[in-house]
Amino acid sequence: MSVHEILASESELTHTLGAQQAIVLSTRIRLARNLRDHAFPGWAKPGQRAEVIALCLGALSPLPKFRRGHELRMEGLSDLERAALVERHLISKELSAGKGGAALISRDQTVSVMVNEEDHLRMQVVRGGWHLRAAWHQAEQLDDALGAALPLAFSSQLGFLTACPTNVGTGLRASAMVHLPGLCLAGHMDKVARALGQDGLAVRGWLGEGSDAMGNVFQISNQQTLGLSEDAILRHLGGWVRQVVEQETQARAVLLQNEGERFVDRVARALGLLRYARLLNSAEAMASLSLLRMGCDMGLLPESHRAAVDRLMIEGQPGHVQLRSGGELDSDDRDRRRAGLIREGLAALPEPKPLA
Amino acid sequence: MGKSLPCSVCGASATVHLTQIVQGQVTKVHLCEGCAEKGGAGDPAIFQLAGALSAVGEQSGLICPSCKLTDADFLKRGRLGCPTCWETFAPVLTPLLAKMQRGEAHVGRGPGGVRTPEELKRRLDAARLEMTAAIADEDYEGAARLRDLIRELETRLG
Repeated sequence: MSVHEILASESELTHTLGAQQAIVLSTRIRLARNLRDHAFPGWAKPGQRAEVIALCLGALSPLPKFRRGHELRMEGLSDLERAALVERHLISKELSAGKGGAALISRDQTVSVMVNEEDHLRMQVVRGGWHLRAAWHQAEQLDDALGAALPLAFSSQLGFLTACPTNVGTGLRASAMVHLPGLCLAGHMDKVARALGQDGLAVRGWLGEGSDAMGNVFQISNQQTLGLSEDAILRHLGGWVRQVVEQETQARAVLLQNEGERFVDRVARALGLLRYARLLNSAEAMASLSLLRMGCDMGLLPESHRAAVDRLMIEGQPGHVQLRSGGELDSDDRDRRRAGLIREGLAALPEPKPLA
Repeated sequence: MGKSLPCSVCGASATVHLTQIVQGQVTKVHLCEGCAEKGGAGDPAIFQLAGALSAVGEQSGLICPSCKLTDADFLKRGRLGCPTCWETFAPVLTPLLAKMQRGEAHVGRGPGGVRTPEELKRRLDAARLEMTAAIADEDYEGAARLRDLIRELETRLG
């Protein structure tokens, strides 16, 4: 029941609207922590993993942030429920696929803690729009509470000890989910990704590690966690995200100037496709929704409709579509249901405005 | 066809082969289907890790006294077995960290969110207040945890 409740309730990622969200969809802070004297989840025996779950949930569930929140055991969920939680960015693919995992999700869905992912504890704060410092502040408070309640694996030389050497030290992965259709259409995205990569930032697809950049949505995050303070990591990421946002804004302005009516035509065609298609696969739906989203940002469509487009980007994912229909579907059925959902969701959207 | 190469992450038979060239340095990564799907192919961290691991080269015959992970296990999995492994495998890990991280020493927060003496002091003051509040609320378990934290902070402040 709990997963349906989570998916049905409003959250910052699916229901907020603000100028802040135009290019940066969301900001995320993730901290990796482990318990002292316990084998890491990937090497632990089932009994040891169960012990870690009991310890962690025992310490975390009484915290005020998790009052009336959701406590989920992975083995108690269906494949589709887990997939939908991954699509909402509330849990990771790794937790969903692993054994003996659990998650604690705050009622407002901004804070979640995964237990027995790659590390014993993966805490994350996700905020809609660009709110790096606010998200960090929340994560810091949670980390303080956790450090007071549980003996954490920490060395003064290496910082927080993690299962993988890519996370040791601060255990901090800060990221921004950015929507970059302008840079993609202009053919600059490879260049941008390369520049970020050379300066220690990773650019990934929509669902994190190993996923495609569907709908021109990318996740930018720090790669290094040792030898830099949390503050330095946040400043570095923040500086680059601001630059990427600026470049994207410029790329859109140049496109509009160069393409004129053709640009409006792109957005109008995307709306036509989404409104009349009977079978829509994820990639096609995401590509067209991305253009509508850009249309909302640029005043071709009413900005008040952007939240609905954002919601369809999430609810049109395969896990969500199948879960809503009540069970597993073959790909044609999925595409049919997705098309119906999107048609309904966009019913109130007016035609794009012609250029002034 | 010869025998297929082992996956750089888990050691299973690899079917995906990638080559990355950064500033003239060639790194080759071999992934099995599972690892490629899970994150490998598009993930720069995998390149980093696999590159650093292959540079470590010869195995040293180390074994972790706590969790029994061997260095061969570590090189195969790319993941450590427990916090003690960080001491056990220090000879393997130190050069690896030098390659993939910004520095070799932690400069961030500690458990309970502390670092510089000023921050320690700030945290200590806060913990004392919290403990008084916990006692007033008759939350003795909480108070005991805070007492331990206060002791730890006092020791670290010297």
